[in-house]
Amino acid sequence: MSDELIAVFADPDAASHALTALAGEGVTRTRIASPAPFPAVEETGRPGPWRVLGWVALVAGLTGLACAMALEVVTSKSMGQIVGGKPPVSWTAFGVVMFEMTMLFAGIATFIATIVLAAITRRQVARRARDAVTSERIVVTIPLDGTNADHREAITRCVSAAVEVLP
Amino acid sequence: MTPISQPVSQPISQIETDTLQTISRTTWRYWLGLAIAVGLTAIGGWCWSQMLRHGLGVSGLNAPVMWGVMITTFVFFIGVSHSGTLVSAILFFTRSPLRAAIGRSAEGMTVIAILTAGLYPIIHIGRSWMFFFVLPYPNQRGLWPNFRSPLTWDVFAICSYVTVSALFLYMGMLPDLALLARRVTGWRKPVYRILSLGFAGTDGEWCLFEKAYPIFAGIVIPLAVSVHSVVSWDFAMTVMPGWHSAIFPPYFVAGAIFSGLAMAILLLGGLRRGYHLERYIKADHFDLLAKLLLAMSIVMTFVYATEFYVAFYRGGSTEAELFRWRATGSYAPLFWLVVACNTVAPLACFWKRVRRSLPAMIVIAVLVTVGMWFERFVFIVTTLAHSFDPAAWRTYKPTLIELGVCLGGFGWFLMLFLLFIKVFPAMSIAETMQGQHAATREGADE
Repeated sequence: MSDELIAVFADPDAASHALTALAGEGVTRTRIASPAPFPAVEETGRPGPWRVLGWVALVAGLTGLACAMALEVVTSKSMGQIVGGKPPVSWTAFGVVMFEMTMLFAGIATFIATIVLAAITRRQVARRARDAVTSERIVVTIPLDGTNADHREAITRCVSAAVEVLP
Repeated sequence: MTPISQPVSQPISQIETDTLQTISRTTWRYWLGLAIAVGLTAIGGWCWSQMLRHGLGVSGLNAPVMWGVMITTFVFFIGVSHSGTLVSAILFFTRSPLRAAIGRSAEGMTVIAILTAGLYPIIHIGRSWMFFFVLPYPNQRGLWPNFRSPLTWDVFAICSYVTVSALFLYMGMLPDLALLARRVTGWRKPVYRILSLGFAGTDGEWCLFEKAYPIFAGIVIPLAVSVHSVVSWDFAMTVMPGWHSAIFPPYFVAGAIFSGLAMAILLLGGLRRGYHLERYIKADHFDLLAKLLLAMSIVMTFVYATEFYVAFYRGGSTEAELFRWRATGSYAPLFWLVVACNTVAPLACFWKRVRRSLPAMIVIAVLVTVGMWFERFVFIVTTLAHSFDPAAWRTYKPTLIELGVCLGGFGWFLMLFLLFIKVFPAMSIAETMQGQHAATREGADE
């Protein structure tokens, strides 16, 4: 387990100020866990694989489109009947289901991807830090690997507004 | 009432306590509402059992009016479902502070309304156990759904919409469910922990959610518009007078938003009054909803006028005769009730005092809800009752069994909503905290 300091703040602004001060001391790789997306979340450099979500939605949407086309064309051809004057393969009529399935697949895939990626990314924050979060407690984790005594003292000063510091 | 711009004065943690009142506190009003809802549902269930037992003969449906109260209620609840997620998604994109207070209830209303609406086509087919015939699955009969039929489009549109809306609602609830899992004790703790899917509020998770949410909102908005457009095509793709019109999709979408807003006002008014959430569900929320309601009322009035104008401009057509009959024939009282409720009553929202008065808005919302149900009834029934062949003209009168099934739908809707707010937070705790923090910061900066 890596050496790290866990500072618990009661105020989102205090957490935000601490993160700014830590950045000034050259401490990067800080992480935060909070009950709401307060501005302090932005201070850690927006980590995580969130950029892939757009691509997941796009690929899943195109898959849904292809599935809808296949479903409609194959099933309509297997029956081969002209209904309402429209030929078995009638793209104007098929468009609606194609649209719906595109959106359906994109939505489901985005949800699954978000949940899976969230499960992966949350493991980068220590469990005891995650467990310390409540509606009135915002937790900042600071890596101490390779820091000397002076640096640690500076870090401690940066988190002086914390209501609790877990070693 | 408290204006929205004024920050709530209590600490952030108090927000959790206040907003979770719907779960932690059960008032006599809640029990009364639930008892009424369960009672109506039971009546509806019994009426449906009569239909299953004796067939559709117990309804007033007969040629040529083969669509009546049940399809009316289906279209009505699809309309109600339309507004919730749509409004929530639009408020998300506009970064409106109103979303924290009304988004969750509106999204819940959407999912519950669509689950209610989905029951009615199943009830309406009479032999409800044969419903699976509409689903595309390999079968021994070698039959597949007809993908050129708007009724098949409807099945796909509604299934997609309910799935994506439910995921949209659920994803937004995960942070709150995680907070709840930390707060509750006993058997509910592991239940909420499982439901929260391990959400811990880390920066990586928030970044993922911030990215996922606009994607979802971007999917939900066109889906919501498509669903009611597809429902309108159930009518507009026919050649029936009064239905075969290009104006139907926007007409249905506007009507859906209109009725959904009215239902949202009713539910939020109930929540505010029942749980004293005045600090969160404020006069400004009702003011905004009232303005939207007024705008949609004007759109609806324009659509009603356009329909009549086009029908009479053509002259001498079946359509002109139908519209004349709609306004003067057997269903004329209902038609004018629709005009009074949907066109005249919302005009009161031009006055600020009315918009900011909860009792006044509740009355208007009830009138609009009634008006929108009857609007669907009038346009469905009058077209079928008075179409091309005068020899086939016939009026339709719903039986008590049908009305019971309809009332059951309203009871079912209310029951599910009351259970929803008892199990899940009725307002977004995380978003309310975020909004409170932002408002406090703005106040400090000024």
